Amino acid sequence: MMTSRERWLAMLSGERPDRIPTDYWATDEVTARLLQEFRCADKEALYTRLNIDGVYDVKPVRTCDHHPDDPQADIWGLRRKAINYGAGSYDEFDNHPLEQIESVEQIHAYRWPRPEDHDFGRFTHDMAAAPRHRVVRVGDYEPFLLYCALRGMELAMMDLKIEPEIVDAALEHIFQYHYSLNARLFEMAHGRADITYVAEDLGGQTSLLFGLPEIRKYLLPRQKKMADLARSFGVHVFYHTDGAAREIIPDLLSVTGIEILNPIQWRCPGMEREGLVRDFGGRVIFHGAVDNQFTLPFGTVQDVRNEVLDNIRIFSGSRWICAPCHNLQPVTPTANIVTLYETIHENGIL
Amino acid sequence: MEDLKKLYDAILTGNFKIARETTQQALAAGIDPQALVQQQMIPAMDEVGRRYEANEYFVPELLISARAMKASLELIRPLLAAKGAEPAGRVAIGTVKGDLHDIGKNLVAAMLEGAGFEVIDLGVDVSPEKFITAVNERHATLVAMSALLTTTMNSMKTTVEAIKAAGVRQKVKIMIGGAPVTQKYADEIGADGYSNNANAAVALARKLVAA
Repeated sequence: MMTSRERWLAMLSGERPDRIPTDYWATDEVTARLLQEFRCADKEALYTRLNIDGVYDVKPVRTCDHHPDDPQADIWGLRRKAINYGAGSYDEFDNHPLEQIESVEQIHAYRWPRPEDHDFGRFTHDMAAAPRHRVVRVGDYEPFLLYCALRGMELAMMDLKIEPEIVDAALEHIFQYHYSLNARLFEMAHGRADITYVAEDLGGQTSLLFGLPEIRKYLLPRQKKMADLARSFGVHVFYHTDGAAREIIPDLLSVTGIEILNPIQWRCPGMEREGLVRDFGGRVIFHGAVDNQFTLPFGTVQDVRNEVLDNIRIFSGSRWICAPCHNLQPVTPTANIVTLYETIHENGIL
Repeated sequence: MEDLKKLYDAILTGNFKIARETTQQALAAGIDPQALVQQQMIPAMDEVGRRYEANEYFVPELLISARAMKASLELIRPLLAAKGAEPAGRVAIGTVKGDLHDIGKNLVAAMLEGAGFEVIDLGVDVSPEKFITAVNERHATLVAMSALLTTTMNSMKTTVEAIKAAGVRQKVKIMIGGAPVTQKYADEIGADGYSNNANAAVALARKLVAA
């Protein structure tokens, strides 16, 4: 029997794993609830309990974890406030430090974080302690999402049309930070970093959020550089884009060069699973595809079971890692979560 | 009409400076503000909406067009109010309790304004009581609710129930939207309609006020 890591790596190298790999994405509230209900001491025990081939994240610890001008803000200058929605809470951004900016000069003058402000000794130690049977993730890069937080989402979106130099300058600062950091982390990982997270939410519920020209101009070139960097160290590129992102997938494959595509929100127009398999099945690993907007939170256990079985059938002949489409939310019944992982475990032998 | 077409074009292309200038010039020349709204602004925003549904325009284009439209409307609105012009409808719109996501709601609000509705934007994290206050004190005849999360959708149901309990359900039509929302959910909670994008929301609002 393969380990979880062997399973993922087999799929990444184009070999046949022993069974369909699985993954786990959930809010902290859901994880805490499951740990309690299953009397698991930690996530590793939960993964063992539910046969989850979950990823192990190694994040470098910063030597200074706040912005130099604002001790209440993170390294980017962003403050957060917890918003309670009843079943749980989300940290939402409470300020937009770049919202008043009117020039590229002001972008350059902003105090951006420094990649060297990390405890790299601690990172080395944490990498050495990473479990050998788990896929290890190092690095995450989601630049436009960060820009939206810094600028305010509406301004950020408008900038794509009317302030090209401002948005480009800011994205370049964000890129340089992550690129420098990742280069150092990948090198220090000595081949032990298996995947890196490259992301951008390009799709909304029914269409792309912004047009192909903007994506190709502002996002793809830097994504490619980040992906090339990862590949130079043997690190595989895990790409996340929510929503109806069908139109950009060819570019993600041929320009960015992604290996895993997440989360496959198949209810969105253009993201139908059969079509994705037909058009891209030979070129990418699909990750996710268990619907998290309707089936998992509001469906019956039979609905969940049927969807997992449908996915097994639809993705057969291509490569698929079974996971929820984004974080399991607190409204999701435990029975549905268990059914997801039990069904794939019972039926996922390859 | 050549000059007036500049307003249509300015809104369509999202040029708020030209939209404002053209409106100032038109009003100074004695053009009826209602004519500007009906013959330029609303058709321009209708075309923006059409292009959005056709995947020719996306969120950035909608936002800059809305900004241009608002730049024009800012100058026109006081004149319409002075004339006692009635809006197409009066909409209280908000993102529901517990949810802070507002870009979808803001797009719908802008499109409704561009379609001639008076929009009472209640913001985000809106309690049922605030919607009810908008109905009672500001005479909203449409309530439009947005939610982005499966975990906050339930606030739509509690708001509908609160509106009923407050005895004002017959005074308003209720429409809902947002990523996890569906027609089925709208039917379940007793809303009058659901739309899955900003342009469809305008069509729905027009239909509901005409009913």
